[in-house]
Amino acid sequence: MNRVIHLLRLTLLLFVFLALGQPLYAQDASTVTADQVNEVARELWCPLCSGVRLDGCELKACDQMKDEIAIKLAAGDDTESIKSYFVTQYGPQVLGEPPRSGFNLLAWILPVAVLLGGGLFVLTRGRSMMQDIRPAPVASSERPVPDDDYARRLDEELARHD
Amino acid sequence: MIFHIGSLLLVIALVVSFFGTVVGYWGGRTRSANLAASSFHAVYAVAGLVLAAAVILWYGLLADQFQLAYVWNHSERALPLFYKFSALWGGQAGSLLFWTLLLSGYSVAVALTFRTRQAALMPFVNATLLITSFFFLVLLVFSVHPFEQYEFRPADGQGLNPLLQNYWMVIHPIMLYMGWVGLTVPFAFAVASLLSKKLGNNWVRIVRRWTLIPWMFLSAGIIMGSQWAYMELGWGGYWAWDPVENASFLPWLTATAFLHSIIIQERRGMLKVWNMVLVWLTYVLVILGTFTTRSGILESVHSFAQSDVGPYFLGFLILIIFSFIWLLFDRMPLLRSESAMDSVLSREAAFLANNWLFTGIAFAVLWGTFFPMFSEIITGQRISVAAPWFNKVTGPLFLLLFVMMGIGPLLGWRRTSANKLREQFTWPLLLSLLFALVYWLLVSKQFYPMMGLTACLFVTATIVQEFLRGVLARRAATGENPFTATWQLMRRNGQRYGGYIVHLGIVLIGAAVIGNQFYVQTTNVTLAQGESADLAGYRFTYNGLSAEHQDNRVEYRAYVSIFADDGARLLRTVSPQRNVYDKNPDMPTSEVGIYVLPSEDLYVVLNGWSENSATFSIFVNPLTLWLWVGGVLIVLGTLIALWPHPRRKTVPAPAGVPVRA
Repeated sequence: MNRVIHLLRLTLLLFVFLALGQPLYAQDASTVTADQVNEVARELWCPLCSGVRLDGCELKACDQMKDEIAIKLAAGDDTESIKSYFVTQYGPQVLGEPPRSGFNLLAWILPVAVLLGGGLFVLTRGRSMMQDIRPAPVASSERPVPDDDYARRLDEELARHD
Repeated sequence: MIFHIGSLLLVIALVVSFFGTVVGYWGGRTRSANLAASSFHAVYAVAGLVLAAAVILWYGLLADQFQLAYVWNHSERALPLFYKFSALWGGQAGSLLFWTLLLSGYSVAVALTFRTRQAALMPFVNATLLITSFFFLVLLVFSVHPFEQYEFRPADGQGLNPLLQNYWMVIHPIMLYMGWVGLTVPFAFAVASLLSKKLGNNWVRIVRRWTLIPWMFLSAGIIMGSQWAYMELGWGGYWAWDPVENASFLPWLTATAFLHSIIIQERRGMLKVWNMVLVWLTYVLVILGTFTTRSGILESVHSFAQSDVGPYFLGFLILIIFSFIWLLFDRMPLLRSESAMDSVLSREAAFLANNWLFTGIAFAVLWGTFFPMFSEIITGQRISVAAPWFNKVTGPLFLLLFVMMGIGPLLGWRRTSANKLREQFTWPLLLSLLFALVYWLLVSKQFYPMMGLTACLFVTATIVQEFLRGVLARRAATGENPFTATWQLMRRNGQRYGGYIVHLGIVLIGAAVIGNQFYVQTTNVTLAQGESADLAGYRFTYNGLSAEHQDNRVEYRAYVSIFADDGARLLRTVSPQRNVYDKNPDMPTSEVGIYVLPSEDLYVVLNGWSENSATFSIFVNPLTLWLWVGGVLIVLGTLIALWPHPRRKTVPAPAGVPVRA
């Protein structure tokens, strides 16, 4: 009977480990190298600074984030799950790019739309410029521009003042 | 007392600049020579007054007059003299005064150059430059107060921001400001030609040179800023798409588009409205850039309300945006093209595509820079738009731009025949395809770097081909040796061949960016004294640490020997250091240890140390040297393009007299 209970306990323990997604042989965080931490940190951004990558940030808060990465790597987490964890903790700011959903989708769509719209405009305008063979009226058809006499007189006056 | 005089000088300059603006516009409108002359005098007077005010502030900094709030905030007794001098542009009030000083300098240079020429344009040019000075003087007098004084004299100052205590930070802002501020001049000529209705190609011919000069300074300023970030910030990179960097890059993009599209107006009388729009956009982006970096709006929308200068900038931006649009629409009938486009296979069409890409990239950069602010306002959540977004969105556009940079100059004006196309493109294309194939098979299977480097090679091949053809043609005509022929080619066709050299500089920068983007190798190590780390075939050995007290800081310097061939051959001992400043011990700065090779930089950062060990970040950054060489080529090419070339003689030589080549 005791053997059965012992086996049941072991099976239960195994299920708990599997359910939590933890490997049976999790590493100690101190065995994770700085390079392994920075490989993940390079894909994250300091939540407090403007545009500073986590691996290059020297704030205490960022050092703590790097320690957390080491712990998570030691526990067997992959880069994507670590990134998701930090997004839950600090918001999408840590990703260095806007999430592709909701209002933030506009960050991705608008430059493409403007570029395509601009390209279309240049194409149509270019085509109409190619069809527009007639000599275009120049400024002379409008109100006459100041005559040269005036300009010369003004030049002379200015020269006298200098 | 003297600082009260400084304040008074700024107030007088404010009044004179307003007076000059009014008489300039009025004089241009009524064609009164006296009023026009007054606008010139106002330009000189404002420059003199602003210079005197700047000299007084410099005196305050150099003589440790800590009763001045600005001096107390940005200097200290122990600050080296060099940095006391540069502290003038180290803070908000001083940098705005410096802006105004440089603008006054440009205004005087323009006024002196054209004091007896361009009489119909100059009163308006003076007025437009003066109204910009007036705006900055309003900021100085009513908002930032560079001469604000305490009632007592503190014993010492707070010290200059440690990050600014670097020689690149002394020269980089001057270059950047010379670029930014100088781009006001082409805008002033554009406004003047619209107001005076002299809308031929005259203003375009004038502003080519007056755009190239600030463009060169801006390019040099951006490159120097990158050099500073690379050497001083110690994260292994040189460009972070930070809002301040973007603010300097945005007018560069539109000014570059403008420099290309005015060639079409000069040659074909086309794109007149577009050129006006580009020069206006450039000016708006300069003011917007100053606004964003000075108001702190991009750090957080909340800092806008805390900023004194923000509302002023916003008001001025609204004024220049709407008044210019109104003026442009009013003059639209006078801005019709003089000729039509003949073919899509023409240089005009290539320039149009180039302009589309430049403005597309400018829009993307602007959008990315401001998007976090919009997102915070709409969603209430802060997001960051950093390098990943900018690289994904602008990367493909830059690739296309590079391809266009190779194609454009090889196409002829009006149209390019099939024979000409074959003749121009066969060798560059074959060479590029061969390179791409070899790269793919032997070097790397990564698509983007392969495409990017192939585009760089294609552009280089087209440039070399153009030089070769030019030199061979000259040699055939004159019998000159290859060196003389190359020299004469550049001397007589500076605009064209200087442009090619600038393109070559851009290609080198492109290659360096690709190398750094895709092939950096890095490691973080803690080494005990005598211990080594290996990276990319190099061995880095830590030899020890020294500490040395300088005027206002302690320099902690680590000594790291770099070996090649598995430690067999010593290349260099580098000394990355950390400076801990007496006044700002919480802000240690970094000076990287670097060994530069043509193929890669070996870059060592000291992160921390204990009694027997030190922690380093080590980077092997491929091709970085070519980024700086590219910057030098840009400046060199621009100088060649600017250099006055000998006029072609049109008078026929008398019979019997031999003509010198």
